[in-house]
Amino acid sequence: MLAPGLIILAVFFGLPIIDLVRTSFTQWPGIGEARYIGIDNYVTAFTSPAVREALFRSVALGVGAALILSAIATVLAALVSGGIRGKAFYRVVWFLPAIAPPSAVAVFWALSVQPRSGAVNAFLGAIGLGRTHAWLADPSTAMYVIIAVAVWAGVGFAFLVILGGMEEVPVSVYEAASIDGASRIRQFFSITLPLVRPVLSMIVLLEVIWAFNGFTLVWGMTLGGPGNATTILPVQVYKDAFLFANFGLAAAVSVVGGLLLLVVGLAGQALGSRKGVDE
Amino acid sequence: MTRKTRVRASTVVGHTGAILWSVLAIIPFALIILLAFKSNTDIYTDPLGLFNVKWHPQNFVDAWKGAPGGQGFAVYLLNSAIVTTVAITGCLLIGAFTAYFATLATPRVRMMVVRLFLVATTLPLIMLLIPYYTAFNALDLLGSPWALGVLYIALCLPTCVLILHSFYLGFPSELAEAAAIDGLGRIQTFVKIVLPLSKGPIVSVGMINAFFVWGETQLAIVLLQAPGSRTIPVGLLDFKGQFASNTGAIFAGLTLATIPLIIVYLVFNRTITKGVALGGVFR
Repeated sequence: MLAPGLIILAVFFGLPIIDLVRTSFTQWPGIGEARYIGIDNYVTAFTSPAVREALFRSVALGVGAALILSAIATVLAALVSGGIRGKAFYRVVWFLPAIAPPSAVAVFWALSVQPRSGAVNAFLGAIGLGRTHAWLADPSTAMYVIIAVAVWAGVGFAFLVILGGMEEVPVSVYEAASIDGASRIRQFFSITLPLVRPVLSMIVLLEVIWAFNGFTLVWGMTLGGPGNATTILPVQVYKDAFLFANFGLAAAVSVVGGLLLLVVGLAGQALGSRKGVDE
Repeated sequence: MTRKTRVRASTVVGHTGAILWSVLAIIPFALIILLAFKSNTDIYTDPLGLFNVKWHPQNFVDAWKGAPGGQGFAVYLLNSAIVTTVAITGCLLIGAFTAYFATLATPRVRMMVVRLFLVATTLPLIMLLIPYYTAFNALDLLGSPWALGVLYIALCLPTCVLILHSFYLGFPSELAEAAAIDGLGRIQTFVKIVLPLSKGPIVSVGMINAFFVWGETQLAIVLLQAPGSRTIPVGLLDFKGQFASNTGAIFAGLTLATIPLIIVYLVFNRTITKGVALGGVFR
């Protein structure tokens, strides 16, 4: 009875990984025969500054966006579970950015930070901060814009999950703390945070993985540019394979990046999902 | 500072934060609609202006038809519909089936199945991109939304199995036993009794996955090479290039791509947010 599901798993996840590893040892332009070249692609991957920088940017995007958005989401969840008025409204509204398709999010924000026609710059101009900065065309600011957009788009989902965790904490615990004279802020740090830690570590991990993989935002906003300033690993792989017709190198880079992420992911799952799976 | 004023101060800060984030969440959607109705000149001279707007519905006509030489929105919409229907129908059927029978298996087998699907959820998409391309190329399927839909069945399956599995764990076994006494086979029991009783979780899992499939871009860019086969998210990126000089049309495209989803969300938001909370730990 479990056969159909397991066969799909093997065919669509197992076989592709084997095929990817096989491709990573070849030189293949996308058509014709692949030529076996041993570990050359891995040597190139490890010695290439472009790959190293792309890996670094992926980590910066993954860790940076995940930490910032999880912090915001935790604060918002604490507000709502702390009984702020308008809870139902906030629950609906804060999830809105998560509903928009990522490529629409990318196109919208890319247009909005344009120097002359962009709404963000028009707003900055209106409050006297100047409206001529080309945020995405400047290599020193482009990556920050992408991190900010990833945060904007990611908070809603994290908020709902963390809120779910907070609502499982029994009210009696807070009542007891109130009787003991603990302030709201004190209760947040001594009760809420420790009790939602499993959920929190899980969502941080997931957000790291998703942001690390965030091809759509980058491709939709900057195509990896200006220069290579926003080329994260998935963009590097896409360029190597589909623009430069070097599928072998792209495969090797995906294997390296994928393994890195898989190790992080499995370690995090072992830490975070104990509650969810082994109950 | 007395205790009372301290409480009030923190409430004020809290409300301010909550309202501020709500503004940040809503304003972009309002802007998309506003700018979709503005002419190019107006967007360049006064993107935020609410007054003296010369309404310019032509943007929507342009977006729907597409730029000369490109594809229109109608084409993208049809492709997205094909991809999503195939993916969601398939992954819900197979996912519910797998999840239900996993809970009937021995604890060791059940845990093994759960672990396998957990690993699949962490597998980064870049590791699948090139092999999928190779396979689609070899099978001559590049540019088939139907084939991409089948692929998404597999990509949605892990979430689907994991969430429904935790639902079926709490499913009363008496129901299956009663059905067996009535002479129903195991598969008949699943189709006639289990499936109808799990409508709620199935709908929420389906919704979450539908939003994922509807917005997925990276695989779609690689596997839908023919312009006429593109889905909405990929089409939108093409739009940006085709309509480089018609910003209003791009905003009209963004409206067409986003606002229907927002409406669906507002109607079904309880189901969707419940599904997210349910699946959050696994996704």
